[in-house]
Amino acid sequence: MSTLDVAVRAPASRGERLDPLALLALPATAYLGIAFAVPLVLLLVTSVWTPAGLTIDGYVKFFSDSYGWRVMWNALRAALWTTAICLVIGYPVGFALARSRGVVQVLLLVALILPLSVGVVVKAFAWTILLRSNGVVNQMLLATGIASEPVRFIFTEAGLVVGAVNIFLSFMVLPIFSVVKLIDGRLLDAAATLGASPLHRFLRVTVPLSMPGVIAGIAFVFSMAISMYVIPTLLMGDRYQTMSTLIARSYLFMRDRSLGSAVAVVLLGIAVAVVVISGWLARRSRDVR
Amino acid sequence: MSQLIASPVSRRRFLAASAVAAATLGAPGVVRAQKKEIVVGGAASHKAFMEPNILPLFEKKYDCKVVFEGTKSLVNLEKMVSNRDKPYLSVVMMDDPVMILAVNEKVIDRITPKDVPNVSKLRPAAVHMDAMWVNYQFPWAGVAFNAQKKAGGVASWTELWDPKNKGKVIVPSLQNTEGLTVLFLAAHLETGKPLKEAQYQTDAAFKKLKALKPNLLTIYTQMPQAFNLLEQGEALMIGGALSSYALQRKTQGAPVDLSTPKELGMTMPSGIAKVKGGPQPALTHAFINEMLGAEYQKLLSKVAFAIPTHVDVVAAPGTPDASRVFTPDWANVTKNRKAWVERWDKEMAV
Repeated sequence: MSTLDVAVRAPASRGERLDPLALLALPATAYLGIAFAVPLVLLLVTSVWTPAGLTIDGYVKFFSDSYGWRVMWNALRAALWTTAICLVIGYPVGFALARSRGVVQVLLLVALILPLSVGVVVKAFAWTILLRSNGVVNQMLLATGIASEPVRFIFTEAGLVVGAVNIFLSFMVLPIFSVVKLIDGRLLDAAATLGASPLHRFLRVTVPLSMPGVIAGIAFVFSMAISMYVIPTLLMGDRYQTMSTLIARSYLFMRDRSLGSAVAVVLLGIAVAVVVISGWLARRSRDVR
Repeated sequence: MSQLIASPVSRRRFLAASAVAAATLGAPGVVRAQKKEIVVGGAASHKAFMEPNILPLFEKKYDCKVVFEGTKSLVNLEKMVSNRDKPYLSVVMMDDPVMILAVNEKVIDRITPKDVPNVSKLRPAAVHMDAMWVNYQFPWAGVAFNAQKKAGGVASWTELWDPKNKGKVIVPSLQNTEGLTVLFLAAHLETGKPLKEAQYQTDAAFKKLKALKPNLLTIYTQMPQAFNLLEQGEALMIGGALSSYALQRKTQGAPVDLSTPKELGMTMPSGIAKVKGGPQPALTHAFINEMLGAEYQKLLSKVAFAIPTHVDVVAAPGTPDASRVFTPDWANVTKNRKAWVERWDKEMAV
């Protein structure tokens, strides 16, 4: 059972006794209540409450301006591209990791987890060096003859997605790996003895069984990618606004708390929608199985 | 182990030893706790010369600790407004347009000659709104360039628009006060009017700025990143670069220099103010007084490449003459800046 399965499982029925082990979650629940739930409530209140009284001006300002839609589309587009590329690259890596054994598996895991210890600022800044006209990426393109002159990557959307994929890839691979390693290999053997071709076995057995991991990976990567702040700030500069940069700008520069919190609530709504839809898809894929 | 347990340590000796140990270990903590501390909110780019050059002098003389929080002026303003009831900043060092907002928000207090005697030694142009804030230096903004790839410097602001510099130009965001230099110079180039008049021609400025888009590598909010790109040769010029940062990088050996083009540079007055109700008022007054005194002003002129505001201090060699720099109408900036930034976001976006 994957983490997502646990997360979406129906709550205990009214008559069911509370497992005393659930009390172990009390410190974390209290911490999240103070550090997350209270600020969240304050955010929701700030988005509709100003010193002048109850208002939805922040939402009206954001949605009535075509620039607001443009910023939202920027954030969505970058998150969709990042998630899609992470999935395409991460899916086979999850299988390689699950199927490998011994030293190879340890090395693969280290290669995947060690970069997480490097800060996002450092990684994003490193990409600004790699993507320059005389950076490693352009040198490779020129050396292999793919390009005849340096290609502009830095401060482009392509550069942003490349940097974001590097930073978020682990969050796609790890959930897929954790699900794939639990797939019973005998199921594929059984399918083969029933005459299923390799492609049929992959599409009808492997893919459905790995879906909970895929859905969890998509939820993780998309949620983080749509709210990224440091990466677009360093890799795109001031000419490309995302929802996160607009929130910071509204609070710190425009001093417009109403707009800043309204955009933050919209961003939160998108992230919650992704998690809810992921949960629904996970339940659905389990029911189909 | 059994020997230790059996050793003849009486309860009295144990308590005495514990008291001595507690005193020995605890005393430095008490001493540390007694040391006074003030928090100064300043510009991130000023950290480079404040922390190594100015703060140690003050800390030594007054036996205190100064924490310098370097960020954008508007973030400092937000810190003061958010903590209005219980301020933790004692001093703020921000640019003039944000000081006007701070006065409107009633988060800074008047500097009086009684508390800060050196305020009476300042040039008149450095004292604002009856000393609600004063300028401790006048850095200026010009065009920074890569000295290896553009050895001749930058003679005119029009070079930023030259098609041969496609993708090689960086300008500051309008969120950064030095970004206003490009806005006003664009208005001047588009209208042909003197800067004093052109600064009010916003439509003309944006028309000219839109023509700059093909040449833009990026628009920065973080100065170190922009200078890193310039020093590495990825960019050729930064229009609206601050003397206090560009010339400091030059003296540190970076291949950059700063030109004051023929159309003029722009002054970027650095203000200092007392936070209303801030902690440690005596130390606060001492800090502001020292910043305005001849000793610190001489040092600042040398390390921050800025024009001093103390009447007796002469500017360091290389500082442009006052006639080569333009001072904008900061009240007009304060009134319109938010609208300009919103327009900038939309019209300068990728």
